[in-house]
Amino acid sequence: MTRGGRSSRFWSRDRRGVPALESRGDAAIRMFHVSKAYGAGSFALRDVSLEFRKGEFVFLTGPSGAGKTTLLKLLFSAEQPSEGQIVVLGRNIARLGRTAVPLLRRRIGVVFQDFKLLPRRTVEENVALSLDVVGTPRRAVRQKVFAILKQLGLQHRRYHHPLSLSGGEQQRIAIARALVNEPEILLADEPTGNLDPDLTLDIMDLIASAATRGTTVIVATHELSLVSRYGKRAVRLDGGGVVEDSLPPGAPA
Amino acid sequence: MSRSLVQLGYFTRTALRGLRSSPITSAIAVITIGVSLVLVGAFMLLLGNMEGLLDRFGDDLYVTAYLDDALAAEDQRALVELVTTVEGVEHVRMVSKEEALERFRAGVGRGAALLEGLDENPLPASLEITLAPARRTSDGLRIVVESLDGLPGVADLASGQDWVEGYLRAVALIRGVGIGLGVILALATLLIVANTIRLAVLARDDEIEILALVGASRAFVAVPFLLEGLVQGAAGGAAALVLLLGIFHLVLPGFEFGLEFLLGGVAPRFFSGAEAAALVGGGASLGLFGSVAALSGGWRA
Ligand SMILES: Nc1ncnc2c1ncn2[C@@H]1O[C@H](COP(=O)(O)OP(=O)(O)OP(=O)(O)O)[C@@H](O)[C@H]1O
Ligand SMILES: [Mg+2]
Repeated sequence: MTRGGRSSRFWSRDRRGVPALESRGDAAIRMFHVSKAYGAGSFALRDVSLEFRKGEFVFLTGPSGAGKTTLLKLLFSAEQPSEGQIVVLGRNIARLGRTAVPLLRRRIGVVFQDFKLLPRRTVEENVALSLDVVGTPRRAVRQKVFAILKQLGLQHRRYHHPLSLSGGEQQRIAIARALVNEPEILLADEPTGNLDPDLTLDIMDLIASAATRGTTVIVATHELSLVSRYGKRAVRLDGGGVVEDSLPPGAPA
Repeated sequence: MSRSLVQLGYFTRTALRGLRSSPITSAIAVITIGVSLVLVGAFMLLLGNMEGLLDRFGDDLYVTAYLDDALAAEDQRALVELVTTVEGVEHVRMVSKEEALERFRAGVGRGAALLEGLDENPLPASLEITLAPARRTSDGLRIVVESLDGLPGVADLASGQDWVEGYLRAVALIRGVGIGLGVILALATLLIVANTIRLAVLARDDEIEILALVGASRAFVAVPFLLEGLVQGAAGGAAALVLLLGIFHLVLPGFEFGLEFLLGGVAPRFFSGAEAAALVGGGASLGLFGSVAALSGGWRA
């Protein structure tokens, strides 16, 4: 793969503008005094500075309206920050041109809070989308899609349409689509919100296993029980600001 | 690149799904393109046949020079020599008064009794002048006629010139109308395809947004729509071709008189393979440009 070469080339372009941001080589994501206002004066995020390392597994918690979804949206350039700088996989988000945004998004898997599945396409086609956009050969697409659907217990649903499935099944399809291309970053917004407790643990294990393979995983969730169960770093937002950024006791820094 | 080849499968599937998901709008687009192209194609056929007729007619094009009765036999021979040297003349044949009478008799049959009462042959001798192939056009004909005019011993010149010029004017008129109509219909077709594709884009804007979120480039999102326009255009072109073929073989034979008038008894000719392909290809290009217009009109991925 040419990924390393490509990112270092852009890295050097970014270097001139944001010297402070590339001090640590193993950071997958760096946010530097980031604020986001949707309307004048009402801040969904205010002055957030965070760093996520490669292969790190992080929970993003906080009450409804705290800014979790907004933070994730900034990371895959679905929204632009009002202030501050964000560097994702070596690329300064603010300077991505029209062709660079899709290239970055192909390296990031996103599980959307509202799934964002295509209703007119089958489960298989929905999951295949992440592979189709990068031009994966059809045979490889079918194999990978089948493998991930099987892992998620959905292989028997692959010719169904999303709307004929339960909320939990749709959620798992969204997860499959985010993971099938083995992204460098996985952003999951309430990925277990519609699942029963047993399935929640299965799915969280699957998501966590991506981190052990080197993927940076950020999971936004309300469920504090999950956070304590996994004993990973948790960033708590409230009112758009970071109010706590904690590693569990005894965890390696 | 092999990647675009891989993606061609995806693009085709997506375009066909798009066409199937709005069958009525697609069918209307195909029918409109088809009707426009039938009209354009009909003009093309008419012109092609009329021009073809001019070519074939050119082979029989000759000038008749009627000779002065007073011209002596040896002067006639000298005149034949002279005319043979005129630029653009290929061959000269002398038709004597007697031969002219023979021909007339043979031509009018029993009506030849008309001539019985005359003690003198009223028909003049003439020269039948065949033109060199390069001169077998309206202009070529005019130049030769001008060189022959006024030669001593030539009483009158007759040629198909007036007729050829009239026919050429008719062809030019039909061509002008056909081009004008073609341009208008092409624009209308572009608008219709653009509108159809714009509707398809609107109907699938959720899809477009999601594609962009999972990393689809603008081109990846756009190509299926372009293919949809292309397929609609090509289908319209093919429908027009089939319809024209049907008209040509089933309807035209019922209008023998009109055909006789337009083509002078020459059998009408349908499109060649290349012309037929051009009609379908024209439809496909119209469809493609229509969807390009739809996508560039303020659309954002
Ligand atoms: N598109 C938008 N336009 C205007 N305001 C918005 C928009 N999206 C979010 N907000 C506001 O920004 C704030 C943060 O919203 P966000 O969706 O990031 O919260 P959240 O932490 O994801 O909440 P939840 O847990 O309910 O999903 C909220 O006050 C919300 O109303
Ligand atoms: Mg949210």
